[in-house]
Amino acid sequence: MKLRGGYNVRITGRPSGAVEVLPEPDTLYLPLRSRRFNFSEVCVEEGERLSPGQAIARDPQNYSVPLIAPRAGVARLNAAEGHVVLEDVTKIPEEPYHPSEDIPHVPKGLGSAGMKRHKLLELGAWQFFCDAHSGALPDPFGTPRAVIVSTVHLEPFLLRGDVQLSKRLVSFTRGLEHLQALLEYQPIHLILPKVDSDLASKVRETLRGYAWVSIAHIPLRYPFDNFAVLARGLGLKYDPDEPVWALNAEGVLAIDRALTLSRPCTVKLISLGGPAIEDPKHLKAMPGYPLRIILDSRTSSDPFRVLNGGGLTGEVVEPSQLGLDAECSGLTVLPEHSDREFLGFARPGADRRSYSRCFLSSLRVPPAERFTTGVRGEHRPCISCGFCEEVCPSGIMPHLIHKLLYEDALEEAERARIDLCVECGLCSFVCPSKIDLRRELIDGKGTIQEELHAGEVEA
Amino acid sequence: MKLIRGVLDGARPLFEEGGALKLLKPVFEATDNFFFAPGSRTHHAPHIRDPLDLKRFMSMVIVGLVPCVVAAVYFFGLRMLAMIVVSYAAGGIVEVVFAVVRRKQINEGFLVTGLMFPLILPPGLPLWMVAVGVAFGVLVGKEIFGGTGRNLFNPALVGRCFLALAYPSKMAASWITPGGGLFGRLGEYVNVDAITSATPLSAAKNGVFASVGDLLWGNVLGSAGETCVIAIIAGGLFLVVTRIANWRTVVGVLGSFALLGFVLRYVAPGSFGPVGWHLLAGGLLFGAFFMATDPVTSPVTNGGKWAYAALIGVVTLLIRNLAGYDEGMMFAILLGNIAAPVLDELAIRYRLRRLGATR
Repeated sequence: MKLRGGYNVRITGRPSGAVEVLPEPDTLYLPLRSRRFNFSEVCVEEGERLSPGQAIARDPQNYSVPLIAPRAGVARLNAAEGHVVLEDVTKIPEEPYHPSEDIPHVPKGLGSAGMKRHKLLELGAWQFFCDAHSGALPDPFGTPRAVIVSTVHLEPFLLRGDVQLSKRLVSFTRGLEHLQALLEYQPIHLILPKVDSDLASKVRETLRGYAWVSIAHIPLRYPFDNFAVLARGLGLKYDPDEPVWALNAEGVLAIDRALTLSRPCTVKLISLGGPAIEDPKHLKAMPGYPLRIILDSRTSSDPFRVLNGGGLTGEVVEPSQLGLDAECSGLTVLPEHSDREFLGFARPGADRRSYSRCFLSSLRVPPAERFTTGVRGEHRPCISCGFCEEVCPSGIMPHLIHKLLYEDALEEAERARIDLCVECGLCSFVCPSKIDLRRELIDGKGTIQEELHAGEVEA
Repeated sequence: MKLIRGVLDGARPLFEEGGALKLLKPVFEATDNFFFAPGSRTHHAPHIRDPLDLKRFMSMVIVGLVPCVVAAVYFFGLRMLAMIVVSYAAGGIVEVVFAVVRRKQINEGFLVTGLMFPLILPPGLPLWMVAVGVAFGVLVGKEIFGGTGRNLFNPALVGRCFLALAYPSKMAASWITPGGGLFGRLGEYVNVDAITSATPLSAAKNGVFASVGDLLWGNVLGSAGETCVIAIIAGGLFLVVTRIANWRTVVGVLGSFALLGFVLRYVAPGSFGPVGWHLLAGGLLFGAFFMATDPVTSPVTNGGKWAYAALIGVVTLLIRNLAGYDEGMMFAILLGNIAAPVLDELAIRYRLRRLGATR
C-alpha cells in the first residue's frame, strides 16, 4: 500500500489496555445530535415507558437511522435541551428483535441480504458504516465496490483496536462472515497494523482461510487509519456511483450482535485519555451515559477541555452536552493552557515533542509530551517552510492552498485539489507560523461548494 | 523573572487604548511575548500544537550564525560587534516603524537579517554605511513587499547590493587584515582606512591562490563572516540537521558549482580556476548555507529548490570566472530569488497535473 506523509504526535495519557465497566446509571442523556447525525424526528411520547432497543428518534436526512434506547426507562423529552432523557433506567433483559410486518423500501431482488441490511439499520449497527471518501453514511441498500474494515485507531486518543478485539475475536470473524454475506463478490480489505503482536498473528491465523478477505498492513503512523487515505492507498478511486464502504472493528462487532443475536447495540467501549486524565484507560458504557459521572473523579487538573474524539480532529464537548453520543469512540481531556513560560522559545526543550528537530529532545527517543491547548506561538505569515506539505497524507500543498484562499482564488484552490484534504489536522499542528490551516481548508471546501457548485447538486 | 513580569504588567496600561504610548503597542507586545511565551489557546481542532514557533525557528538561524560571529570578532576585532549593534538598531527601527504604521505585529525575521547583514560586509566599512545598507535592505527588500513571509528578495542581500552599487570603491577597499595568534584582534577596534589589498578571489584572477589551510581557518581578507570555512560548515550543518536549512538547496548549490566547474575546466582549460579551491573561497559556502536557504525567498517545492540551487551554483561559477566581478554569490542568489516564483510555478503545475489524476 502506498502511503505518504503522516506523523505521530505523542501525548501523555495514552489509555491502557484495562477496561473498566461503568456502573449502571439512573438516568441516561441521549444527545439528539452527533458528528454525522441529527435525530430530529422524535418518535416517542413524553413519559412513555421505553423498552431497550426501541427507536427514540430518527435522522430523516440519513436513511432514517434510529437513535436506540440502550436500556428500559421513562422518556423525558423536555428535561434537557437537545437530549432525550431516559429516567428510572432499569436493566430489563433485552428481547430478541422481531421485525415489524411492513418493511419499508427494501428493494426487491436483494432477498435475504435486504432483510439483513434492514435489520442492521434498525438495530443500530448501520451507524458504524461510512463512505470511505466522504465520511457520510452510505445507502444501506446500495452496492459498494469494496469494503474497508480497519482495526486501527491512530489518533491520540481513540479506542484501541487491540483492546476491543482481545476477547472478541470470535465475534469479529463471525461479523466479517455476516458482512461478506451482505455483499456479492466485492472484496473486503482488512487493515491490520504492521506490528508483531500475539493478537495480530492470531487474527491473521484465523482469517487465513477466508479468500474474500484481503489483509493489508499499515505502519502505525497517524493518519494512516483514515478511510479516505486507506481507500486511495488501496487504489480505490472515488466514484459516487460505486462507493467504498468503511467501518471499524466496532462496526463488525455490532454486525455480529445484530445478525447473530438479533440484539441492538447497547454497549459501547470508549477510550478515556489525555494529559488531564489521572488513570487513562478504556471504559465500557452505553450511549447516553452521563459525562459528569465519567469525568468527575477522573480528571486531574483544572481547568480542562474535553474533546469528543482525539486531540487533532476531536470536537469540543460543549457544557450543554450531558451524555455520550452514539458515535463517540473516545474522550480526550486536555489541560487548558494558562502559564506563560519565561523565555519559552529559548529553552533547550529536552521534554518537547516537535516535528522539527529544533529541540534538544531530538537527540534521544522523544518522550510523550504533556500537551495543553496552547497555540505556543504567535500568528505569523507563512514563511514557506514546507512542513505542512511534508506531513500531508493526501499529497496536496496546504501552504499553496492557504495563499490561494487568501486571495480568494477559488477556482485555483480547487485545481490545487483542496477536495483531497482528509482534515487530519497535521498541517495546523506542525505550522511554525501557527496558521489554522485545517480550519481554512474546511471553510475553503465549503465556500467552493457554495460558490462554484451551488447549482450542480441533484442536477 | 518576577521583576520583568512586574515591569511589563505595570507598563501595559501605557500601551493600551487611551494610553500615552498607544502607537508603540507592537513594541510592547513583541517585548512581552519575547520574555513570556504567549498564553493564547487553540480555538479549533487540532487542539494541540507543535512547540516550534517562528521565534524558535529564527533563533535556530541565529545559533547557526554564532560560530561565524565568533570567527569574525576573532579575526577583525570589536568593530564587528559595533557593526552588529548598528545593524540591529537601524534595521529594528525600520521594522518597528512599519509595524506601527501598519498596526501589525513585529516579526522575528529582522533578528536574522540584522545579524546576517554585517557578516556579509567588508569588515572595515564605515558604520553609517552599515546603517544605510540595512535600512535600505529591510525597507526595499522586505517591508514594501508586505513584511516577513511576503518578500521576494533576501533583505540582507538587497542591502549589500545597494551598498555595492552606491559605494563601489568603499565596498572594494574596506578589508581588514585578519588577526592571528591566541586572541586575534579580540581586544582591538580597527578603524576605517585600514588596509586595501586583494581578497583571495581577486588575487586568484591574477593567478595567486591563497593556501587551502588559510581558507579553512579563515585567515584571509574577505567579508566578515565568510572567511572562516570551519565556522560556516559547523553552523551550516547545524541548520541542515535541524531542518531549518533545506539540504537540497545546499547540496544543489555546491553540487552544481562543482560539477559545472569540473566540466568547464576540462572543456576550456585555462579560463577556469581550480574547483576545490573555489568552493572554499569567497562567499559561496556562507551563501549556500545561510542565504540561499532562506525559506521565504527560495522556492517551496522540492523540484523548484533543485532548479533554484542549480541556477545559483552555475551563475556564481560563471560570474567568478568569466565576468569582471571577483565574487558572484550575491548576484547569483538575487537572481535565484527572482527566478524562485517562476520555478515554483512550474514545479507546482507539474505537481497539480499529477494530482489532478488522483482520487
